[in-house]
Amino acid sequence: MAEKNKIAVQIDDLTVAYNYKPVLWDIDLAIPEGVLMAIVGPNGAGKSTLIKSILDIIKPIAGSIQIYEKPYKKQRSLVAYVPQKGSVDWDFPTTALDVVMMGTYGSLGWIRRPGQKQKKAALEALEKVGMLAFKNRQISQLSGGQQQRVFLARALVQNASIYFMDEPFQGVDATTEKAIINILKELRKAGKTVIVVHHDLQTVPEYFDWVTFLNVKKIATGPVKDIFNDDNLTKTYGINYKVAVSQ
Amino acid sequence: MNSAQIEIQLIASLVAIACAIPGTFLVLRKMALITDAISHSILPGIVIGFFITHDLSSPLLIVMAAASGVLTVVLVEFIQKTGLVKEDTAIGLVFPALFSIGIILIAKNANDVHLDVDAVLLGELAFAPFDRLALDGIDLGPKSLWIIGTILLITLGLLFAFFKELKVSTFDAGLASALGLSPVVIHYGLMTVSSITTVGAFDAVGAILVIALMIAPAATAYLLTNDLKKLLVLAVLFGVGSAIAGYWVAYALDASISGSMTTVLGVLFLMVYLFAPAKGLFSVLYRQKQQRIEVSLLTFLLHLRNHKEEEERHVKHLNEHINWQKVRSKSVLDLALKNNMITIHKDVVSLTPKGKKFTTEAIDYIVTNKNSEIENMKDRFFLFRG
Repeated sequence: MAEKNKIAVQIDDLTVAYNYKPVLWDIDLAIPEGVLMAIVGPNGAGKSTLIKSILDIIKPIAGSIQIYEKPYKKQRSLVAYVPQKGSVDWDFPTTALDVVMMGTYGSLGWIRRPGQKQKKAALEALEKVGMLAFKNRQISQLSGGQQQRVFLARALVQNASIYFMDEPFQGVDATTEKAIINILKELRKAGKTVIVVHHDLQTVPEYFDWVTFLNVKKIATGPVKDIFNDDNLTKTYGINYKVAVSQ
Repeated sequence: MNSAQIEIQLIASLVAIACAIPGTFLVLRKMALITDAISHSILPGIVIGFFITHDLSSPLLIVMAAASGVLTVVLVEFIQKTGLVKEDTAIGLVFPALFSIGIILIAKNANDVHLDVDAVLLGELAFAPFDRLALDGIDLGPKSLWIIGTILLITLGLLFAFFKELKVSTFDAGLASALGLSPVVIHYGLMTVSSITTVGAFDAVGAILVIALMIAPAATAYLLTNDLKKLLVLAVLFGVGSAIAGYWVAYALDASISGSMTTVLGVLFLMVYLFAPAKGLFSVLYRQKQQRIEVSLLTFLLHLRNHKEEEERHVKHLNEHINWQKVRSKSVLDLALKNNMITIHKDVVSLTPKGKKFTTEAIDYIVTNKNSEIENMKDRFFLFRG
């Protein structure tokens, strides 16, 4: 495991509101470099909002967010993002390869077009997630698990230091889930920081080494072996957390 | 063909191309209705521009109209953000308000000018060749040709420059934003282009044809391709084709040119909707029918696999037991025979090794939803195409 002293993401006093209704209250959070971290919490806890705020997609009403001690705008190239699969229209007229190529658009900047170099990187990323055979398939013709793999490949092609993933295991088959978590573990081994919004509490100890409990406020954050316990689960989910675990 | 006829078709074709390009992205963004709104709400912009310049052909009119087009979008989004009404309602609230402001302004102050509502809505392509641009007494052609030509060049330039940005922000605005390719800038850029195109085109062809030329070609092309570049090319071809065909329909029937072009667009969409190879109505119905038969086939094969006894596998018994009508039994039996999955000996049906293998793999696929084993069967069986 990488050294735990360096902080990859530093969040101070973050408050986010939709129409004046706070969805995140005064969050302080330091994510160390090189962890594979789950963000867990009930529906409406603000898990996706937290990620979107870090990525400057949603503007917070208060607080500061630093990626390696600088604002996100200066550190874009260090960050890759996998949105929820349901957030895009999979009937969009494009192929798996083209979606992965979109991961290179950030390094290209405005107007410049992707070329052979970007295509090669995209093909490599597709191969890593076992989707090379499907590169020319229209994205609506892919299964849910395959679509998620394409999204993962798109993040891999960004070659970032920090990866944010919003529910990458939602609606995927068991094989894909295994394949994805193996890739995430490889990323951690390579010293990358991986932050995952996660729903299945049962798999947290098996998949992750770091965890953040979130329910509008931050409940706890730290190593899974130290803080993944009944006490924090109850604080996050209420007394019915065992129902959530058994789901 | 005389020169006026050629000029009319040329203007209509350029309008069709200029409309199809932003139209394609509006359709993909599920914003088709906004063109309807923009095409009406540019009216107050035109009227105010006219009050300032007192010249109906001033470029300021286009600028003002484009501004009120963008204002429409801003207002719609503002109302939508309150969370009190949905987007379609917001559109329905905004554009009639702006349009009627335009009408009142005309009625109160510009009754004596040629700025009537009919012309705004319907346009009159037949008159376009009469309004000509001249420089030092040299005839340079119809004015609308120059206006729409300029707009088309700008649109094409922007499309080539920002194709990748348009694509990513349309497909995944969240990613575009995270990558620093501001989807907000692209959004308002597209809205501005749509407004300017609408203004440039409506004088020649009218607001209704502008809407039709923006939406119909893109919607038609969408049924035929899964590739964004081909989609754009097809939309342009459909737009130009309908414009020219519509002109000759109007010529033959002695009818309104805009009306004929819109009709051709509608008929073209209907044809493609019915007969498109993959997404068309008939091929969807055919696919559903095949899938039903294939499900029956699988049920039948499974029954054969589970019953070794001869009496369970007798053709007559199958009719009664599985409770199918004769026609259905026959089509299922035929399909199984055609694929060498069964043999029939003295009216007793037996599974072939191939049939056994198929049954196992197909059941396995349906239970585990794993694709790999079924991949080579997708071409022959609709059942596995998802």
